Amino acid sequence: MNEPLLDTQLIVLIDRVAQRDAQALRQLYDATSSKLYAVAVRVVSNKEHAEDVLQDAYLNIWRIAADYRASLSPPMAWMGVVVRSRALDFLRKRKAERALGGVDIDDQFGDGLDSGEPTPLDTSIASEQAWALHECLRKIEAKPREVLTLAYFRDLSHGELATQLSLPLGTVKTWIRRSLEQLRSCMGKFA
Amino acid sequence: MNIANNPLLLDRLAASYALGTLRGGARRRLETYARQSPVVRTSVLLWQERMCAMTELAMPIAPSPNVWKRIENALMQEAQAQRLALGAQSRETFVQAALDKVRQALRWWQAGAMTAALATVAAVTIGLQTQRDLDGQVTQLAQQVKDSRQLQYVAVLSDDKSTASMLVTFDPAKNSLTLKRVGAYKEDTDKSLQLWALPASGSPQSIGVLSDSKVIRIAAPASQVITIPMLAISLEPKGGVPSATGPTGPVLFKGALLQAAE
Repeated sequence: MNEPLLDTQLIVLIDRVAQRDAQALRQLYDATSSKLYAVAVRVVSNKEHAEDVLQDAYLNIWRIAADYRASLSPPMAWMGVVVRSRALDFLRKRKAERALGGVDIDDQFGDGLDSGEPTPLDTSIASEQAWALHECLRKIEAKPREVLTLAYFRDLSHGELATQLSLPLGTVKTWIRRSLEQLRSCMGKFA
Repeated sequence: MNIANNPLLLDRLAASYALGTLRGGARRRLETYARQSPVVRTSVLLWQERMCAMTELAMPIAPSPNVWKRIENALMQEAQAQRLALGAQSRETFVQAALDKVRQALRWWQAGAMTAALATVAAVTIGLQTQRDLDGQVTQLAQQVKDSRQLQYVAVLSDDKSTASMLVTFDPAKNSLTLKRVGAYKEDTDKSLQLWALPASGSPQSIGVLSDSKVIRIAAPASQVITIPMLAISLEPKGGVPSATGPTGPVLFKGALLQAAE
């Protein structure tokens, strides 16, 4: 990734993209693609599929850039939402295809929680909101935090998390409840 | 119970709503409250905003350089389609004009040919609403059909749901078959599509293996093509199979080869 750009610079680029400036899309891509690719990988957990999602997401940003101003969100958060929703659409489509028996299960969610590694966090081009979230997530134990972030990225219920991570349902529920409670009281201090 | 008056409960519910773990009836109830109460709505929106910052915290991973190339290609296609569309007065009159040309040309055709060709045009027209790059194809198709007195042989190859997937034209003067992909079908990279002549009697004969491009030209002698009633496309291993073997994979598309009247 190139030098991180400031929010104001990203906003200027998004505005230029809204005016059909392909060069601006290139600059926006250079500044943000590794960040957004990481989001796509996190959701679909397959690098090739994540590339399809990323392509789809930037073409979508190209089409809807004019809507950005109305969203009032920081630019990376807005683009993150675009990528996440595209990635979730992708998962839903694949799930439907599998249900029809058309596709082999070639890539079940691979990353369990065995490593115990904390979720890597990066704040290089994060908004204030993201900084606060980062500070609060850091205080949560690694595994519950991992389950919490997975729940968000993949839009999973307690039951789905338990199945995909091979954890007892009770454990998932407890971890989510506790970590969400920690997050809630911590975020309250930043408000 | 009015959760707007219970800030702690509301905060908890809004947080798990935004996380996505609040499900079923509880989720729907909170949505209903949010529509009624600005206090509830504000709380939910705040938590959605907070959670969405999670996408900003993933450690960057560089995607393959191919992704940008693919985006660039898609943008170029879109720009090209827009230029074509701008050439017409409006999208609607543009499509209408294309259809009129097709209808005119079809007067010379047999009834069967007309139905099949109109089905193709309909398929292309429907596709047009979602995929701008088909604009150019409608123009080309209209032009081809307009010139069909020279083309003389046309086939629309469809799948088992009668969705047109391949438009075939044969120019006997040039001994040249042109295949145009009009559907969304795309074979896997380790497979090839192979075109077969299905004679009235006897086994299928291979006409050629299709490249993966949108428009494919295959040289074929008129003597081989004009006598056959049907064409079919099968899915074969990359590079196709020898003619004598016959199709080994599933037949994906087929259709009658129709002769336009003189």
